[in-house]
Amino acid sequence: MTATSSTSPQHIDSSCRLPLFALFGGAAVWLALSSVLGLIASIKFHSPSFLANSAWLSYGRIFPASTNALVYGFAIPAGLGVSLWLLARLGRVPLAQPWLIAVGAKLWHLGVLVGLIGILAGDSTGFEWLEMPRYAAVILFVAFLSIALWGFATHSARSRRREEADSSGSADVRLVTSAATLYPSQWFVLAALFWFPWIYSTANLLLLAFPVRGVAQASIHWWFSGNLLFVWLSLTGLGASFYFLPKLSPGSPGLQSHYLALFAFLTLILFGTWVGIPSGATLPAWMPTLSGVATVSTLVPLLTVGLIAVQTLRGAKTKCGGGPLCFVKFGVWSFVLSGVMLAASAVPEVSRVTDFTWFGTAHTQLRLYGFFAMTMFGAAYYILPRATGIEFPFAKFIRAHFWCGAIGTLLLTLPLAIGGVVQGFKLVNPDVAFMDVTKSTLMFLRVSTLGEALIALGNLLFLFNVLAVIVRYYRAVLTRSYAAVTAQLEPTPDPSQERNAEVKA
Amino acid sequence: MSAQFQSPATTESEPTSTLAAVPVWLIVMALVLVYWGAVYFDKHGGWFNAKVYGPYRSLQEVQDMQPISGGANLFGRGKAVYHKPSCVLCHQPNGQGTPGQFPPLVGTDWVLEPEPGRIIRAVLHGMQGGPIKINGQPFSFGASMVAWKDTFNDEEIAAVLTYVRQEWGNKAPDVTPERVKEVRGKTKDRSTPYSPDELMKVSPAE
Amino acid sequence: MKSGALVFLAALMALAGSWGGFVLAPQIQLAGLVQTNATGSSDLYPLGRPGLAKQGLEVYRANGCVYCHSQQLGQERTICEIMLTDAGTNAAATAAAIAKLNSALATPLLGGVGGGSKELLAGLPKLILQVTDMNAAEPAMKTLESAGAKTEARVVPQGADIARGWGKRRTVAQDYLADYPVQLGSRRIGPDLANVGLRLPDADWHLRHLYAPQNEVIGSIMPPYRFLFERRKIGREASPDALKLSGKLAPAPGYEIVPRPEARVLVAYLQSLRADAPLFEAPLTPPPGTVASTNAPGVSTNAPATATNAPATTPSAK
Repeated sequence: MTATSSTSPQHIDSSCRLPLFALFGGAAVWLALSSVLGLIASIKFHSPSFLANSAWLSYGRIFPASTNALVYGFAIPAGLGVSLWLLARLGRVPLAQPWLIAVGAKLWHLGVLVGLIGILAGDSTGFEWLEMPRYAAVILFVAFLSIALWGFATHSARSRRREEADSSGSADVRLVTSAATLYPSQWFVLAALFWFPWIYSTANLLLLAFPVRGVAQASIHWWFSGNLLFVWLSLTGLGASFYFLPKLSPGSPGLQSHYLALFAFLTLILFGTWVGIPSGATLPAWMPTLSGVATVSTLVPLLTVGLIAVQTLRGAKTKCGGGPLCFVKFGVWSFVLSGVMLAASAVPEVSRVTDFTWFGTAHTQLRLYGFFAMTMFGAAYYILPRATGIEFPFAKFIRAHFWCGAIGTLLLTLPLAIGGVVQGFKLVNPDVAFMDVTKSTLMFLRVSTLGEALIALGNLLFLFNVLAVIVRYYRAVLTRSYAAVTAQLEPTPDPSQERNAEVKA
Repeated sequence: MSAQFQSPATTESEPTSTLAAVPVWLIVMALVLVYWGAVYFDKHGGWFNAKVYGPYRSLQEVQDMQPISGGANLFGRGKAVYHKPSCVLCHQPNGQGTPGQFPPLVGTDWVLEPEPGRIIRAVLHGMQGGPIKINGQPFSFGASMVAWKDTFNDEEIAAVLTYVRQEWGNKAPDVTPERVKEVRGKTKDRSTPYSPDELMKVSPAE
Repeated sequence: MKSGALVFLAALMALAGSWGGFVLAPQIQLAGLVQTNATGSSDLYPLGRPGLAKQGLEVYRANGCVYCHSQQLGQERTICEIMLTDAGTNAAATAAAIAKLNSALATPLLGGVGGGSKELLAGLPKLILQVTDMNAAEPAMKTLESAGAKTEARVVPQGADIARGWGKRRTVAQDYLADYPVQLGSRRIGPDLANVGLRLPDADWHLRHLYAPQNEVIGSIMPPYRFLFERRKIGREASPDALKLSGKLAPAPGYEIVPRPEARVLVAYLQSLRADAPLFEAPLTPPPGTVASTNAPGVSTNAPATATNAPATTPSAK
């Protein structure tokens, strides 16, 4: 094969196929499971006795199982899949060691399975967002490293041939097209690949393996969850957004701009790493104060991201029509909104009201689902057909998924946010009996359960589509091989022939 | 071969980014936020002190809330020590003790001596039972008093003595923590309780 | 442009910075904490939880109680209250001194000082002054003392959590020294539990509440934890531990509901939860007649003055 064909988009995409099957396929299953578990947990607020007689299905186990399935089962593998694909595409090289990555992905999903069973069996560690017990954490850590390693390998093998990139780019000198200069998405996803092993190993070593004493546990735990839920999600999600926003909007001037994205990146990691300690935390005053100041300062990267999105989409003429761009656009605005909510809740006067209420859950869910998951859906709907050469068989489901996801997210998070504020004002007023505080939130929780049900429906559509693509791909391969074997005439098909066959089919 | 492949990706190129500069207002905003953060931290952060928790903003504010060690506040703290329960178990909540066993504290010359040397010793090291005289009247001290020197520190003993000297209508001067410390130092080699006679030989001012 | 290396360096530094701040620094500051004396007493704090309560924390962790219950309290301000405990022999002089001190305040605490010294000095001990801190309290107390009165200065933490009766002061690092995992919690779907052992010392109540929360607290949305209990046939005689249930909840005749060991240890843990020792970093004047707190109820004593604060830790021992 010539050098040109080995770095063609088609070749790169198909090099990602096996890892993406493993990462996205498993992620879609965990996502659906997470929705179902979350829905059960949510129903328990309206009917406390619902499935209460089994320890495995009690709220305190099923709720963390649901959030862990969402973060570790879906968000991280889906993010890894998109990151690897972006690194290969933007580096203009095929993905390194797809087989090993696929094995790493299976190992990751095994770790998630073990961890979720552990949580349901009562082995949860008791640290929110880090509930998976030690034995699962070891598997997850090894699996992540074995996947991330090939991401770095792919990146360092990136094509540096300037002329190739220049020949396909525009003559405008204000465009950065040189392959020698990294595209902003590359910084974001590379940093995320580096971030997770650090925070995950720190948290597991100091909280589970060799636990520190007293509230130092709480401090490390807040540091970990802030870095996971704010920094890691933002880095991976924005890496995808900054790629797909200009890419899917013909007529867009390109990512506006390189320097703004760099500014967003630097301020995000500068301030974002300190996010997470609530102002009333049981820690010496300097820690919550420092964390609060940093959280308010994340307004800078948030505004920058908003600015980038507005300027990048300016002049773009396409309607998203329920396709991948819709997901990515919804994601980026959810990011800004959830970030503003987070920053607002770090102001001491506000946090006095919103601490310990549903408000925190609202902006976390908005970031996790509205921003991250939606961006990943958009990316998956774009990438999978290219990696397999097969279009999604149920195109209408994509549109339906978008609307279920978008409306579901709003129905889930807005009532929780408003309910959280209502709850907060009642909590800080000692004249309101605690039972009345609880009662005042129930109405909001009902609406949010509805949102959760819509999201679950959308997630099932996603699962259906992803599995359908994978099944069709393998059916095509089998048909092709069968034909080859029975005909006894054709030589062993090479990969590009296989793909052609599928496309024709 | 690859030329025949007609996927949507065939003609696509990777996205590009422009080189527009970061707007000045964004940088100004970042600097303003950092400046505000520094000022806010200076005021509320307690300067990295591990003993400063909100709502206290500085070590000084925490120190300003510490209980006063001497003076009138000894009485209130002594009351808590008395009812810990420690003294109250024998001397009773009303300070009357139990006839034939535990001597009363109300209006008792032992308690009300202006100089508290004896009573400090009795509390620190304990006192053997036996016939004693209270306000000139014989009293059968059936039990014996235990030593409190390892249970309570100087401040607590000063506080509880101040309390019993000023509660139930008793009127006697405060016992200061310094005085207790002094007596503790003088008797540090003692390991047995005082007998009543032995205690009577001690000068109250000593 | 070597942006790759720069990006890596920036990420490394940002992460290392916050790692140093929120992982390393708390270790240096807080890991060395040891038992300390509660303010003004020789009680060591915290004493650590009894063995049963430690097992109970495992049940608490396994069943995710932390998702609905926090175990940390805030405090909005601290004030200093001067209580008059004895008006002294010259009541008129005391009343005058109080009036003078009160008029020096921006918002006098006691209205109608002119109502006569008898009225003012009735019902002791009585709150007569609120000041910002001990520095302000000392001269005021001296003034009153010289008028022949006896006073007491009390440090009083205030805030919504405290007003709800969830605790007497904010929580600090010292309160969690002996716990693993520390279950601070982030949501208050149910009430805060930092001092639940102090608020609700009754083991039987806790057991009944775990079995049927709605029966004890009308309108509660806490799920019942019946898998912590066992329904069994009454043997030769009814178990003394059997829950006293009535109405619909009562088991069929010949049967009884008894707590499993998990329920007992969980309740022992709940009873051990209290964080009210006065500490340097969390100053507080304990109400008169109470013992400075320990984390180990039942260890110190069984005397009447503390019986309500220190429930027996072993429900099974009854």
